[in-house]
Amino acid sequence: MSTATVLARASRAEWGRIWSVRSSWVFTGLISCAVVGLGLLVGIDVANNPESVPVGASAWEGARFTAMFALFGTVAMAVVTSTADHGTGAIVPTLQWTPRRGVLLAARALVIALTVTTLGVVLVVAASVVVRTLAPPRVGLPFGDGLRSMGDIVVVLGCGALLGIGLGLATRSTAAALVLAIALLLVLPLLVAQLPFDWAATTSARLPGSGALFLIFGEGPLDDMTVTSARLTLAAWALGALTAGGWRLLRSDAGH
Amino acid sequence: MISVSGVTKTYGSVRAVDDLSFEVESGKVTGFLGPNGAGKSTTMRVVMGLDRATSGTATVNGSSYAAFPAPLREVGALLDAGAMHPGRTGRSHLRIAAHSNGIRSERVDEVIEQVGLGKASGRRIKGYSLGMRQRLGIAAALLGDPPVLLFDEPVNGLDLDGVRWIRGLLRGFAEEGRTVLVSSHLMSEMQLIADRVVVIGRGRLIADTDMPGLLRGLGGQRVRVRTPQADELESVLGPDTAVERPGPDELEVSGVPASEVGDLAHAHGIRLHHLAEVEQSLEDAYLSLTEGSVEHHGHVPTALAQGAVR
Repeated sequence: MSTATVLARASRAEWGRIWSVRSSWVFTGLISCAVVGLGLLVGIDVANNPESVPVGASAWEGARFTAMFALFGTVAMAVVTSTADHGTGAIVPTLQWTPRRGVLLAARALVIALTVTTLGVVLVVAASVVVRTLAPPRVGLPFGDGLRSMGDIVVVLGCGALLGIGLGLATRSTAAALVLAIALLLVLPLLVAQLPFDWAATTSARLPGSGALFLIFGEGPLDDMTVTSARLTLAAWALGALTAGGWRLLRSDAGH
Repeated sequence: MISVSGVTKTYGSVRAVDDLSFEVESGKVTGFLGPNGAGKSTTMRVVMGLDRATSGTATVNGSSYAAFPAPLREVGALLDAGAMHPGRTGRSHLRIAAHSNGIRSERVDEVIEQVGLGKASGRRIKGYSLGMRQRLGIAAALLGDPPVLLFDEPVNGLDLDGVRWIRGLLRGFAEEGRTVLVSSHLMSEMQLIADRVVVIGRGRLIADTDMPGLLRGLGGQRVRVRTPQADELESVLGPDTAVERPGPDELEVSGVPASEVGDLAHAHGIRLHHLAEVEQSLEDAYLSLTEGSVEHHGHVPTALAQGAVR
């Protein structure tokens, strides 16, 4: 039997694991309310202040910052989903059913990351459509802009999800992984950038939160930050976290 | 066949399993016995690839467990009935197991019926009793209809019906030629179902033998006699016998069969009121074997021991 078949089966089981517990549905509901609700607020604001909107404005830009909320929601969902087995002891049957841990790691990272990223992107698109619906007619929803915006958002959400999964597998604790994720994505980039040292801005720019912020808003702690450097920063953190989590899954005893 | 060869497992400074070797044959129920902390569960976890052996190897039918692409079709195991996601339904738990091993969904319904969880399968596991979780764990073990089964304390939490059911199930599997390894603390249960026993203590092998061999090998053959002429009978028994006097009219004789004691009494005109061979229980044999290997001792409060507490 090929590894691809084992991976396909493990992935199907992962999909079942995600949607067979209530917490995934609760997360989906909460993230949906937050992201689409924010799109609604932006749309209402634009509708009430049509003079503030320049000619040729795009609804994608208006809804772009909802991606930040989508990021926090989907990272939290990725952390909770990836730590659930360890928190409940269910890692014992999971490893009995899929003892090839490399395959399990690949299936888990693939399915969780794809699921939460797709969810986040769909919600940001929905928020953009809501903004377009409420905004004055001169606010468009050009397809090209949408592709560019969603390209950045896919990178942000995908890397965020992999970061969450990696931290979850490395710590095997929902609380610890959530604290680390919030620190890396929100607290540390802001905090470090305020420090009165020469290296502070450079260090802050190397944190994943700064990369996400730059790709969503085009702003960062360094003036010379580029889309490429932001993408590389996010990808490096995601890969690093996943390597740490994968190492623990592959090398450690189940439950230790 | 399960083969454990020179397995040592340490957790930090604790040596849970120490150079353990044994084999579990097919077509038999093998009981896996030992005091708390003896290393039974650790050994099973090593066999199942959940914990990595510090040294040595454990294989199932010649392969390490991790090498099986569809392990549920090779080995069914119940290791820890509490290790399940409490927010999932029993049916979801089994469907995920089936998906992970390419097992058709209809098989999920079959094992649910087989373990008697029909009505409860749609409920969340957090609402299950220990016995129901055991049944669910057994259902997962049976899902792939595997030739090898490992059960760690399978009767925990089961009611009498459940105990009788699992007894029949395990015996049935062995009669079908499957390999069955069962750990349990219930010696009476083991005596009923096990063909062989592997006894470990402090991670080391103490005994690996068949059940009659274990019972015979410890304490030898003993005969209980009740007679009003106990002193006379004791005096005519040969020098190779060991005699104990549990009561004024009772003897417990070791080293000769009951028939020989009866013949001797008849030859000397000694009246007997009772003559029977005493079968040693597995519990006695187990306690004799594991004496000195028990790590965790409980103590009866002094007052309770003296009968002062009612």
